[in-house]
Amino acid sequence: MRSAIEVAGLSKTFSIGRRSRRRSVEAVQDISFSVEPGERLAYIGPNGAGKSTSIKMLTGVLQPSAGRATVLGFVPWEQRRQLVRQIGTLFGQRSQLWFELTPRQSYRMLGAVFGVEPAEVARRCAELAELLDAVDLFDVPVRSLSLGQRMRCELAACMLHEPAMLFLDEPTIGLDLLGKQRFRDLLVRLNEERETTIFLTSHDVADIEHVAQRVMVINHGTLISDSEVSALRRTLLATKLIEVVLEQPAPPAALTSLTGVTVRLQSDTVVKVEVDTSRRSVRDVLDELLATFAVADLSVVDPPLEQVIAQIYTAPRPAAP
Amino acid sequence: MSGLRATMRGALAEAWANRRGFWTQVLVMVVNDLVWVVFWVLFFHKVGTLRGWDSHRILLLLAVLTTSAGFVLGVFSNARRIGRLAADGDLDAVLALPVPPLAYLLVRRIETTNLGDLAFGIVLFSVAGHPTPERVAIYLAGSAVAVVLLTGFLIAIGSTAFFVGRTEAGELGFQAMLMFATYPVDVFAGPARALLYTVIPAAFIGAVPARLLSSWNSGVALGALAAAVVFAGAAWALFNLGLRRYTSGAVWTQA
Amino acid sequence: MNARLLIITAATSARRALAERGGLVVSAGFYAAVIAVLGSLWRAAANAHGGHLAGYTGTQLTWYIAATEAATVSLNLRLIEDIGDDIASGTIVVELLRPASVLAVRLAAEIGRALPRLALCLVTAAAVDGAITRSLPGPGVAAAAVVALLLAMLCNLAAQHAFASAAFWVRDARSTWFLYQKLVFVVGGMLLPLEVLPGPLEHIAKLLPFMAMAYAPGRLASGHVEPVLLLVQLLWVAGLLGVAAACFTAGERRLQVVGG
Repeated sequence: MRSAIEVAGLSKTFSIGRRSRRRSVEAVQDISFSVEPGERLAYIGPNGAGKSTSIKMLTGVLQPSAGRATVLGFVPWEQRRQLVRQIGTLFGQRSQLWFELTPRQSYRMLGAVFGVEPAEVARRCAELAELLDAVDLFDVPVRSLSLGQRMRCELAACMLHEPAMLFLDEPTIGLDLLGKQRFRDLLVRLNEERETTIFLTSHDVADIEHVAQRVMVINHGTLISDSEVSALRRTLLATKLIEVVLEQPAPPAALTSLTGVTVRLQSDTVVKVEVDTSRRSVRDVLDELLATFAVADLSVVDPPLEQVIAQIYTAPRPAAP
Repeated sequence: MSGLRATMRGALAEAWANRRGFWTQVLVMVVNDLVWVVFWVLFFHKVGTLRGWDSHRILLLLAVLTTSAGFVLGVFSNARRIGRLAADGDLDAVLALPVPPLAYLLVRRIETTNLGDLAFGIVLFSVAGHPTPERVAIYLAGSAVAVVLLTGFLIAIGSTAFFVGRTEAGELGFQAMLMFATYPVDVFAGPARALLYTVIPAAFIGAVPARLLSSWNSGVALGALAAAVVFAGAAWALFNLGLRRYTSGAVWTQA
Repeated sequence: MNARLLIITAATSARRALAERGGLVVSAGFYAAVIAVLGSLWRAAANAHGGHLAGYTGTQLTWYIAATEAATVSLNLRLIEDIGDDIASGTIVVELLRPASVLAVRLAAEIGRALPRLALCLVTAAAVDGAITRSLPGPGVAAAAVVALLLAMLCNLAAQHAFASAAFWVRDARSTWFLYQKLVFVVGGMLLPLEVLPGPLEHIAKLLPFMAMAYAPGRLASGHVEPVLLLVQLLWVAGLLGVAAACFTAGERRLQVVGG
């Protein structure tokens, strides 16, 4: 089966500054990867890492400075108009909807643009309204919608022509917590019910946790990590967290006697213990805790993904070969 | 094509939905145009004729100019904004659609207030232009050529933003074009005159159609048509070349 | 009236205007194009009439246009709209809290802002029209013209503030700035000397305040020695300042009663 996306050596250099102060910025340097149909992929990195630049090259908006790529068999910057018929794009800050009109009016026009018959547009609108829980929103002028409501309608807009793949660039930006959660659930549903490949860029780690099966991390323009989400935690940090609830407040001396771990006191009776598994096993630490304190409850967890990602981000920039 | 038609319908619907202060704005346009009529009537009242120009011919010039400028700024209103759209990265949404980007941009947005100029031009011609079927045909053809030229000029200038970033050149070129187009080109001499038939083709937007309405000349008409074709071609080429250098408003390229 | 505050305000504004080098260059370029084009037109008209039109030679018409355009291009064309916006949005309320006349401070700021532009216009005019006519106005004419230009700007600013103060009462008054501008263009003599107007219209125009904003400096710059025009300008400045002050005081009182 052909890959949905094939990228080899893709690079983009911008030239900034005026006249004598002109210099080059390598926004994306030599990235290579492939994506299979039906995958849910998160492409993350801090601000300025090159995420938006990458996605814009893959959707034909930008021309690369070097390298090759195909998306669904098309070269994006050469066959843009054929490609966009097969993909949907949602760039968080840019709207597909017409501000003064209702979403439904926008969908009718988009339908005409994508060559979808009016009757078919109406059918798909009804379907999408159900799927996105947006039945009440399609006939309200876009300017009257909240950001969360608007993003659901934007998602419907990019799904209208039943694309095989969705590119979403920071789609949850500006949404409140509930809005983000709903949006993530929608993406997962689209992928599971329609096998739509999801390519999502974000700097919100929760987007990875709830949507992605695979995560690629980009920083300083280069791909520094590409793995399954579950593997990311396990392989990158040799750390486990033990959360302990004590029956009584622990004397400080007793806490400092624990060796080879980092102890963080949350309150009198709640303690978080960070175990460096390369130095001590979790089993060892658990035995010591149970022997030293009267434990009411405890749990062993992986470190939060934020911590993992932050560590990747703050890794020094790889030296030029 | 159906996509572009649907887009234009949407642009009309959107403009109609956004009609707050519409009549005040239209009044502004009409008063603005009237002032030029008053100025030229007063001028020729005192001066009589000037290098073949009189008050009648100048009114023909104003009729064609307001008609074509009103159409371009009203219907093809994005033509004037190409530079800003390119520099600010606002072309992304257009590039996500399976449409020819330039054509789509042109029909995407209608500025209703400039339609006041369009209406003024039509009324002025009807009142002062002695419309006969032949003259109406020349007026329409002249206005069409002026529309193509002005649109081409605006797009060409705006497309320079792809290459040199956002500058005042677009707005300035446009203002200069409109200003020069308001004057009978025969008033100017030498290099200024040559400029107005070439780099800033203001002569073709008002003076030449007005002259053709007064006395038809096939050679001149063909020249005007050729100029329109050249500018349209240049605009299309510059825009598409520029699109390859589009940076989508990347932060790094904001000087 | 705190004169020191006004001078500082004007100076700060001038400095800020000087820092916007790009904007100044654009203004100068635009001004040069306008006086070249309009000047060309009027010279051609004069030449077609044996060298004289409405009592002006081609050269005199050139300097007339240079002065009338300088008097208006130096100012913020959309000032009435901006003042209206400040009143509607409540920005002006903040200024009421300061221990100084809102109107005086605003006028000082606008004058300060206009001065660098005016200076640039004068230099541009000397270069462009000097090259075209191969002559410059004599020192006496130039001095009278410069004084008249300053008075013209002050007149224009006072009138605009008076006009704009309607926004204290009427919400959409701000969009009528264009009407005011057109009156200055035609009846004020910016586009054409008032002597070009038909008889009765010429007399009426010379009785209106708009003539002080463009015609007066134009007439003096063209070499017509009519010092009475400066007196007329002074009278209009005083009158319009009075009207503007009264309007603003009434407007401020209304704000205090009704709220922003």
